[in-house]
Amino acid sequence: MRYLKMLFFLGMSVTAQNTHVHHDTIKNLEEVQVKNAAKKKIETEMKMAVSVDEFLSSSDNISFIKRGAYAWEPLLNNMSTERSTVTIDGMHIFGACTDKMDPVTSYVESNNLSTIDIKSGQEGSLHGATVAGSIDLKRKSTPFGLEKKWNGAYQSGFEFNNKQFFNLGNVAYSAEKFVAEGSISYRKADDYYDGNNEEVKHSQYKKFNTSLGFAYKTTDLSALRVDAIFDMAKDVGYPALPMDLSLSRALITSASYKQLFEEGVVKVVDTKVYFNAIEHYMDDTTRPENLVHMDMPGWSTTYGLVSKANLKKNRYSSEIQLNAYDNLSIAEMRMYPQDRSKRTMFAYSWPWVTTRYGGLSMNNSWDISEKSQINLGGSLGVNYNYSKYVEFNWIFHPGAPQEKTRFLPSLHAGYNLDIDHFNFSIGTGYGHRAPSVSEGYGYYIYNSFDRYDYIGNPDLKNEISYEGNASAGFKNEKLSIQAKINYFYIENYIIGRVLSMGSPMNYQSVGVKGYTSLDYATLLNMSMNVSYDILPHLHWKGVLTYARGMDDQGGNLPFIRPLSYQTSLHFLHKNFGIQTSVNGDFEQINYSPEYGEDLTSAYKIWNISADYNFKINKVRTIFQVGAENLLNEYYSTYADWGNIPRMGRNIFTSLKFNF
Amino acid sequence: MKSFKILVIALFCVITSCTIDKTDYEAETGSEVPEYYEFKEAVSFTSGTYKISIEALNGTFFKGYNELHLKITNTQTNQDVSSSEVTFLPILSSTDGGKTSCPHDFTLQYDAATKYFAGYVVFTSESASANTWKLYVSFTADNQKYDISKDISVEKQSNQNLNMTAFTGKDDQQYIIALVSPQKPTVSENKLVAGIYKYNTPTAPAGTFPDPSQYSYSEVSGYTLKLDPRMPEPSMGNHSSPNNQDLTQQNDGLYHGVVNYTMTGNWTLNLIMMNQNGLIIKGTVVPTDFTPGVEGVKSELYIDTLF
Repeated sequence: MRYLKMLFFLGMSVTAQNTHVHHDTIKNLEEVQVKNAAKKKIETEMKMAVSVDEFLSSSDNISFIKRGAYAWEPLLNNMSTERSTVTIDGMHIFGACTDKMDPVTSYVESNNLSTIDIKSGQEGSLHGATVAGSIDLKRKSTPFGLEKKWNGAYQSGFEFNNKQFFNLGNVAYSAEKFVAEGSISYRKADDYYDGNNEEVKHSQYKKFNTSLGFAYKTTDLSALRVDAIFDMAKDVGYPALPMDLSLSRALITSASYKQLFEEGVVKVVDTKVYFNAIEHYMDDTTRPENLVHMDMPGWSTTYGLVSKANLKKNRYSSEIQLNAYDNLSIAEMRMYPQDRSKRTMFAYSWPWVTTRYGGLSMNNSWDISEKSQINLGGSLGVNYNYSKYVEFNWIFHPGAPQEKTRFLPSLHAGYNLDIDHFNFSIGTGYGHRAPSVSEGYGYYIYNSFDRYDYIGNPDLKNEISYEGNASAGFKNEKLSIQAKINYFYIENYIIGRVLSMGSPMNYQSVGVKGYTSLDYATLLNMSMNVSYDILPHLHWKGVLTYARGMDDQGGNLPFIRPLSYQTSLHFLHKNFGIQTSVNGDFEQINYSPEYGEDLTSAYKIWNISADYNFKINKVRTIFQVGAENLLNEYYSTYADWGNIPRMGRNIFTSLKFNF
Repeated sequence: MKSFKILVIALFCVITSCTIDKTDYEAETGSEVPEYYEFKEAVSFTSGTYKISIEALNGTFFKGYNELHLKITNTQTNQDVSSSEVTFLPILSSTDGGKTSCPHDFTLQYDAATKYFAGYVVFTSESASANTWKLYVSFTADNQKYDISKDISVEKQSNQNLNMTAFTGKDDQQYIIALVSPQKPTVSENKLVAGIYKYNTPTAPAGTFPDPSQYSYSEVSGYTLKLDPRMPEPSMGNHSSPNNQDLTQQNDGLYHGVVNYTMTGNWTLNLIMMNQNGLIIKGTVVPTDFTPGVEGVKSELYIDTLF
């Protein structure tokens, strides 16, 4: 009934908007192009119908912790989500699950995104304090006054391994003064089968996602836009965890006003207010083997403002961004005794923790010459935390302050040089980040990977990152080579250490760990990309990545990707394309037993796919069929939670219509 | 803009409706535990022109520790009597003729600030048909001694956080430990207060009933109560909490310590009582292993709580 009401209201607003459309022709709002290394389309080379996770994983510096088939946690530069800022169009959103079962990326769908903008290290500080960098999921946004008023796409497909059936549709209407767009999608998957053809129980999922956006051109140079995404996942299994998800819902809304300037230094100012609410209900009734029945609901509500100005004068250009948000994170746990007539046991795993952040960030670039460019940027943020039920935190940290304010400065500088076919860059960065809600205020958060209950520490110091990066590349008509390296020295590196006091609360756990700061930790990431056009229609591409993370004792950090590679061939003939790829990791030698890791063997996966383009009555149609893990290899990667096996051979088909 | 407002309202309706309601934390901890702040008259006696009124929390005597406020009023002059020697003696009579008492303040002291005689009593059992409690009170007014007595009713202790235990120590003495506070613990550091009392074995033969020397109890001084709180529920696997403090005696005669409760539910306060010389009078060390599925082993000396 509530949804009906909402649809009704939305319908009204559509009609209301339409009445404002005027018919004078003025030039279109032009997009101000900002330098970024965004991916162009939400599809990978192998597969055109990908999930957001699959798409992200095609990026060099993203790896994933996988707890099942759904909602993978993206690691940027081999650092977990606490160290990166993940935003949707600059909007901050925080998952509502203490076990990180719902990274922000799980609340969008590939058909409401246009690109994903990944920035490494302090270059990503535009969206707020970070160490690893930023992942900004860019929503689709149809420009005003396209020639064709209606645009649409519909995509359907089936994946055989887990009987995943998906339907994705999106439509956009564009007029001179008005744009409306919407998308809807539904995915349903059963359990998947590993390389031994055994069912991986509790790996099913159902996901529904829809989005709506309206833009109205208020004057020649300004526009108002409202957006909403609604996402709902039900009956999601997490084979690596002792519980599943019965329901998660996210509502992500924003209203923005954009003003362009024809003259002056300031070219565009875009201001957005946003609100998002996430609810996440874990469920263990599907796991009768569990000793304790437990409810673990979580809520996360965020209000925010993001305002961005682009400046340009001659060879100087600048982005200035103001970020402010207020987030309230609540997570409860209620354990049921075996004798259900007895009193239930209740505690907060996030005791109503408020986080407020306000910060001003700036990126400046200056073209010294045609060939070289200097980038300079920085940000200053204020981070405030408040724990409503601070008595929970006092149990392990007596007398810890209920409120805490931190200042989070950041600076970065870079230099780019292009000489003929070569390009070089070098950069450095410095930045602070505040502990996350779990790290600061978490209470008995069970981590099923190392099987410890984690306790937050409100007195943790800011994590301080010193970073250096460099890249070198060569490019001509046929060959392109790019090598990148970055190194992080992170002071007060936050990680869980075994506590001598307290005893586990969750029956599966073996002890209690408290978040503590190491003196420092270091992280090195390297990647090499090569592409070569063997024939005009035959392309080869190869990627090699390596990373190493160490703590202050020279021990290994967990979840660091071993040496890994990907090589692919792509052949195109008229309307027909075929591509094949092999990817894999070498043996994970540098694993960390302290954090529950064990030696993960090497694996390699062979994938192949073919597609065909054709037209049915002017409707451009693509049909694709392919297979992942063609040889049905049984494997699990270094970052598979609890060593759950990955999917075995998976034949996928999909069909896409573009109207 | 108007449509946007409508949109916002519509969205707000959707958001504010959660499928699972957030726990009302204040109500959560209050649901199991009655908490009483108010002293009300629990019993009153009249003797001549004097009225004696004994107040207890919520106007009820409960099994366990009861703080008492006693007032004597001259009903003719309507004035409180303050300068008097007031004695207080509870006697439990069983149908077989046995008469015993329980820890109590025999001589009540007048508190000029609060204008009542302050005392306490630790009832060791509830009133039943076979066990009846009677209070014997004496006071002196106008150079005349008044002795009065009255049957009272002792109710079941509905607040498990005020539980008590009675036992015989290794020194063959009879001890009683009663929890005094907190009435309503929370998931936090809780200041834990308990009284330790001992029956003083009479040295002389009994005089005329009720002879106070036969029913004498005293506060034990200089002992230590070592504390190890655990959740007994099998699924909690002998869960415990950090940063607890053993109970030691403070100026008020009571024993003070700190208990941390990590979540609501059933808890067991495992105790070891040691005398001034560190000798264990009662109690055993409990296993500290985490044993999911097995009910926690309790110390020989323990008190259960629930909140």
